[in-house]
Amino acid sequence: MKAATPFLIAGVPIAGLALQSWSAANAWTHPPANSIVVPRSSSSRPRAVGGSIGDPKSRPRRGMDTWRDGEMTMTTTIATITTTTATAAHSSPPPSSSADDGTTTTTTTTTAASGDDVIDDIDSLCLTPQLRMMTLAFASIPDERTRHKQLLHMASTLPDVDDDVRVSENRVPGCLSRVYVDCTATRRRRIGDGGDGGGYGDDDDDDDDGVWAVEYRGDSDGLLTKGLLALLIRGLNDRTPDEIDAIDPKFIKAARITQSLTPGRNNGFLNMLAVMKKKAREAVERANDEGGGGGRGGGEIDVEGAASATKNTMTTTTTTTTGGPMYGAILAALTKSLKPKSIELVDESHKHAGHAGIKGTGRALLYIVSDAFEGLNLVKRHKLIYALLGDVMPRIHALAIVARSTSEVE
Amino acid sequence: MSLPLPLLSRSSSSSYRYCYPPPPPPSSSSSSSTVPPTSSLSDDDGNDDYPPPSSSSSSSSWWKDYKFNDPHLAHSVIGDFPILSTRFDADGKMTSSSSSSSSLVDDERDAGGGGGTGGGKADRRLIYLDSAATSHKPSVVTDALISYYETMNSNVHRGAHALSRESTEAYECARDKVASFVNARDRNEVIFTSGATEAINLVATSLSCREGGGREYRLIGEGDEILITEAEHHSNIVPWQMAASRTGATLRYVPASSVSDGFDVSALMGGLVNDRTKLVSIQHVSNVLGTINPIGDIVDYVRDNASPDVLILLDACQSVPHMKVDVRALGVDFVVASGHKMCGPTGIGFLWGREDVLNGMAPYKGGGEMIDEVYMDGSTYARSPARFEAGTPPIAQAIGLGAAIDYINGIGIDRIHEYEIELGDYLRRRLEDVEGVTVLGPRVGVERAALCSFVSDVVHPSDLGTFLDLEGVAIRSGHHCCQPLHRALGHSHSARASLYFYNTKEDVDDFVSALEGTLGFFRSLTSGTTVDGEDGNIVAETNDDDPFVPLF
Repeated sequence: MKAATPFLIAGVPIAGLALQSWSAANAWTHPPANSIVVPRSSSSRPRAVGGSIGDPKSRPRRGMDTWRDGEMTMTTTIATITTTTATAAHSSPPPSSSADDGTTTTTTTTTAASGDDVIDDIDSLCLTPQLRMMTLAFASIPDERTRHKQLLHMASTLPDVDDDVRVSENRVPGCLSRVYVDCTATRRRRIGDGGDGGGYGDDDDDDDDGVWAVEYRGDSDGLLTKGLLALLIRGLNDRTPDEIDAIDPKFIKAARITQSLTPGRNNGFLNMLAVMKKKAREAVERANDEGGGGGRGGGEIDVEGAASATKNTMTTTTTTTTGGPMYGAILAALTKSLKPKSIELVDESHKHAGHAGIKGTGRALLYIVSDAFEGLNLVKRHKLIYALLGDVMPRIHALAIVARSTSEVE
Repeated sequence: MSLPLPLLSRSSSSSYRYCYPPPPPPSSSSSSSTVPPTSSLSDDDGNDDYPPPSSSSSSSSWWKDYKFNDPHLAHSVIGDFPILSTRFDADGKMTSSSSSSSSLVDDERDAGGGGGTGGGKADRRLIYLDSAATSHKPSVVTDALISYYETMNSNVHRGAHALSRESTEAYECARDKVASFVNARDRNEVIFTSGATEAINLVATSLSCREGGGREYRLIGEGDEILITEAEHHSNIVPWQMAASRTGATLRYVPASSVSDGFDVSALMGGLVNDRTKLVSIQHVSNVLGTINPIGDIVDYVRDNASPDVLILLDACQSVPHMKVDVRALGVDFVVASGHKMCGPTGIGFLWGREDVLNGMAPYKGGGEMIDEVYMDGSTYARSPARFEAGTPPIAQAIGLGAAIDYINGIGIDRIHEYEIELGDYLRRRLEDVEGVTVLGPRVGVERAALCSFVSDVVHPSDLGTFLDLEGVAIRSGHHCCQPLHRALGHSHSARASLYFYNTKEDVDDFVSALEGTLGFFRSLTSGTTVDGEDGNIVAETNDDDPFVPLF
């Protein structure tokens, strides 16, 4: 949670204000004393999952720093944020910049500013652990050329693929080079807690607590695009479709890789991510059709309508799905909004094997400890959880919830 | 009302060709550059080998002292274009000052350009080499737009009040300017559209429309043939595909190849034109290859061999902004062009057509302005140009286009053309010297527009575009809306540098320097060797010296 106190600057450059420190989660060190940093409003508010890119209101407008939440509107006349050249204390360039003599530049793009913006809220982007690591690593590279070199290096690490990958069904549209990506699903078992995303291990046993995770192969004849593809593959490999769906493409701005986020048929990066999300779903569906997707009795949780927790992504209708992908979505939704100290979701559906005839039954046990419950009575806690889960879990009839606040468990 | 016709002072040859051989790279001992080439034009065996320079070692720096015949044109106009003063700081942020007196600064600046890709320059200027996609606008054009909105904004043709009179007069005056610019017979032959794409769609839709009412319209019907080429821009392909599909006509095309530097004129004249050919649509100048097509010869051939009522449409998007286009001399039936490629605003272009042809065509869009009388059971239509200008026209944009034409006429389209011949030839020759780069289109010494598309064996065009962008160089990479042409040439994508009269020799030099640096860098990725570029810049590092360490 950020310790920053938001404050507004109303059109007049203010010098010498005391600074607020940034959250330790981001890569910036404490800015020097005579620069002004204008933080965004507190990020503890839940944000739209995944899909805010497509929302035109959420796009920062060129030349104007307009944030979607409406708390702060700055024109570039306000962006007279003086930055010092004594950047020794910085591991990376300061968040906003203008000419060193303090003059106002009338037209500046805000690429770096919005990237820094996004870094502060990186936890709200629902990134996989690998993607988060790479985003922060890229953001810490101060020089644009070096970032490109890092991308090119990643391109060289992508393994060669057979020609059967380079087919039109695998083509990513809208790229300036030819990009192909293919996806397969394997059964995995979740390990680790859901608080930081956890990981997956081999699903050796045949019980119902496995999940479908996906792996990608891909290629491109443009090296930078190939590097981007390598980054995405590394970030998305061995994750579930729900986790992949939740990823907010804004991370690429946080990573300060110069990529436009303007939605459109010609946005190669957005299309790459969209194709990978779609292919993850398809790979799992294929695997379910081929493998033993059904026959699990009461262990099935019926999810109709939106199978993913995100808005503005492709919705796939899945009539039955085994526990895994939706569990991931539940964990993702709750983790993102409540920032729990610990969270655990246990599938007890096998205890309801006899209820196979009732569509949509399943039983799960949710243990969650979070500061968000402080001061709320039991009913309110459960209402909050159900409200957050709304789309994700419309049909779980039996969710046993144990919701504690941090102070209660200590 | 007829307009006073400008006297033609040029020969009325159907396609404008420059008649003198372009100046060759001078030997290093001479400082002027007017020695005619001995080998370039006589080497006419049609293959892609370029004639070797007279002395390979001494001409490697021929370009440094090269002098243009008209070296001041670009520098004298740069100040008129505020956007050309755009600069990029170390973080890649763009800044552009409202006052733009930086043109002379560039003269004195070290022309070393971007050098290698080791570290970036702290402050880079914009080197805009994408005018074929869209041109920049001088202040007089943006002033005209503002002036319209602030002083005479009013709907045209409909009001009797003072503002409406002003705006109508300005709008129709712009039409006169366009008509004069292309040497039309009459102002009624000029139809304002939203651009060349709409102009082509206008013709295609109108000729394939099945409007009832028993009126006699020129139409393409089943069994007729439409002829285009494989080298066309998509805007000159897709509307015809739609028209053919609507009407049952057959769409045929002249194949393209690298050997013919575009579409194969001999194939065109080898049987693709017959008495069922009703519509021929070709480009004047290729936006990929720079090839200037022999329109006069093609028109003559088509008139002789096609159906007697064949219509010929010329896509002049890449010619009107750069050279004199005389619609009467060319002998075509339609000419389309876009305003935004000729210093005009976006959202405006025009269709020129023969007046009798236009008045015999079905309307395109229906609505206000294009009618004569409207009854609930039918309407009668106005004559051209109103016939094809339904609704409120793009008034401000047309006036802006008029201002752009005035601006170009103030410099002189012929002066612009002469300068671009030199500059384009200079670009072509400089690119010829860059190792690992293959320029598409006509070889050195052959007439072409001032643009060069190229491919590299070392780096993909999209990567090239990105890395050049880091140096402040704006080129275009992709298929340039000519997918069939690229397929015919055997490349999926290419990079393109295109010039306009505000580009300088330094722009070309800086571009080539940055290009060499980027190529060297990408070479070092694969081979790890050091390559020295021009001016002693290190353009690539060995793996030992490269401080780059991958983070993961």
